[in-house]
Amino acid sequence: MSEQTPVVVRNVSKTFKDVKALDDVDLQLDSHKIYGLLGRNGAGKTTLMSILTGQGFPDAGEVKVFGHTPFEHDGTLSRICFIRESQKYPDEYKAFQAFKAAALFFENWDEQLAQELIADFNLPLKRKIKKLSRGQLSAVGVVIGLASRAEVTFFDEPYLGLDAVARQIFYDRLVEDFAEYPRTIVLSSHLIDEVANLLEHVIIIDSGRIVMDEDAESLQGAAVTISGKADVVAEFIANYPVIHRDSLGALASVSIQQRLTPAQQAEARELGLELSPMSLQQLVVRTAMGRNVLATPQEQTKERASWNA
Amino acid sequence: MIDDSKPIFIQIAELIENDIFSGVLAEEGQVPSTNEFAAFYRINPATAAKGINKLVEEGLLYKKRGIGMFVAQGAPERLRQKRRQKFNDQYVQPLATEAGKLGIGVEELMDMIKSAQPIIDVGPGGSRHV
Amino acid sequence: MERVIKVARMQLINKWVFIGLPLLILGCAFVFSLVIFWIVRENGGEGTMYGGGAQAPMWYFLALGIQALTLTFPFSQAMSVSRRSFYLGTVLLFGVCALALSVFYYLMGLLEKATGGWGLDARFFALEWVADNNVAVQIGFYFVLMVLLFMVGFLIATIYMRWRTTGLLVFFIALGVLLLGVIALLTFNQLWGNFWTWALTWTAAGVTLWGGVVAVVMAGGSYLTLRKATVA
Repeated sequence: MSEQTPVVVRNVSKTFKDVKALDDVDLQLDSHKIYGLLGRNGAGKTTLMSILTGQGFPDAGEVKVFGHTPFEHDGTLSRICFIRESQKYPDEYKAFQAFKAAALFFENWDEQLAQELIADFNLPLKRKIKKLSRGQLSAVGVVIGLASRAEVTFFDEPYLGLDAVARQIFYDRLVEDFAEYPRTIVLSSHLIDEVANLLEHVIIIDSGRIVMDEDAESLQGAAVTISGKADVVAEFIANYPVIHRDSLGALASVSIQQRLTPAQQAEARELGLELSPMSLQQLVVRTAMGRNVLATPQEQTKERASWNA
Repeated sequence: MIDDSKPIFIQIAELIENDIFSGVLAEEGQVPSTNEFAAFYRINPATAAKGINKLVEEGLLYKKRGIGMFVAQGAPERLRQKRRQKFNDQYVQPLATEAGKLGIGVEELMDMIKSAQPIIDVGPGGSRHV
Repeated sequence: MERVIKVARMQLINKWVFIGLPLLILGCAFVFSLVIFWIVRENGGEGTMYGGGAQAPMWYFLALGIQALTLTFPFSQAMSVSRRSFYLGTVLLFGVCALALSVFYYLMGLLEKATGGWGLDARFFALEWVADNNVAVQIGFYFVLMVLLFMVGFLIATIYMRWRTTGLLVFFIALGVLLLGVIALLTFNQLWGNFWTWALTWTAAGVTLWGGVVAVVMAGGSYLTLRKATVA
């Protein structure tokens, strides 16, 4: 059981001072899947990953990784890799020394893959880590995360500071290596479009709560935006669940959560309406994270506080 | 290539179908592996596998154990049949329906079709936004 | 245990920190002291000369205790190392280094005596108060002193890791209050004379013994503190 579902989270809560960073989280992660852990900054992504990797601990609830509580359990920890977005390295360390350490601790470490990635990212091995650019620092984390081949690997906003080329390298290498060595991978991100096609499953967290936990497939093409004359649009969408409305004079643009059949699509075009599919990013912003758009000032302060948590 | 209009595995299946239909992938020819598809389109390998399996279930591809995936004998012809049926459903039926509403008779419709300019360069899959 | 050893190896990836720098500091202090002794001698200085430079690396260990924790603990977490393994590996490594250096101090002390204080009648390693004791007390004394300073740094750093600035503030205020209390007690009861008499009765063996007890208490304290420390 624990081999197919290496990570099980039950009723986990965590509070920092008066901020609820995690609120009764229930979750499970299966083996051999790429997950997207999506949410705004401060939504609780890092707190959740910290607890899953034994770097943090919950106030309430239970976390099991490979059947054990990961906190202080060496046997479990050795099968997990989590490099923080704000990872600290020993002051005097040069990049190659960080990789040397990683090779010591991660049992599945693949030195050849590490070397290839280092070449791909053009990482200066002999430079001190604290002198690296933000992008190079992210690349160090990406190299460790990929080359560790840990059975459960977390990537925390891995693309920060990486340019388009480097990000593409990361995505390509990730898909390639995952195909050959399937494992549980969690991509934590607040940018969704770039990674959307890589994900098999999407988990969205908002203000410490899991607000969506679905297969990516069920979300692709699940919503569509219809625009045209306001009255025509209104008539067409009458029976569908509306996610979002925009209007400009006599024109309206309405997003509905509904898969349209080819016949329905044809009908819409016949009415002079334009259809455009909603991207995962838009869908997520409009549904799961939409609640926060009109958040009260108190809630906004609360969220800002949880940034620091 | 991949967009948000429908599940990615369906789009992958359609892309492969197009290649089979146009002959890029020959009958009895080997099809790239799931992982190659995944890497090429930058999608999750599980999704690519699902798209390929859909074609296996439809009998357009078949698996040779330990070797890989191949295009089935007669696959292009079956696709042609399928597309002809689809052409009928998607274009001819609505055409006839609309013609009926406008009082255009069969003869007149035939003439119209004969004199219509062929639409240039519709690639596989076609373009809906002409 | 395997991961404990790996933590020690990780701490040694940069050999400079645990081995190179202490030796360099000691070497510099020794050479500078010898030069000063020689200058004094050349200018007619009389009698045995004493230098306190041998304690220089020990103060570095205070900084090392802080560094080993603040810099490598967050990294060890990213390497999926438990706090327990990190603690044991780091303390074990320091223990081995401190023991080796203590033995080195002892041997240099013997050499110092044998060469008549480097031919200058100077005392750098073999200060009589320590060097007149048996081997075990000598080595033990150096060792305990090094571990004690390392542990002070380590404890302060763990308190910071666990409770951040607030924790340090509380710790130092509490320490300050405690010291003030002792000073007040001694002053109001006019016990300072007794205190100094008592302090002078201390032997190297006594310092080693009680220093060792304090070091062990601090080691326990820093372990319990580290158990629930987080990096962010």
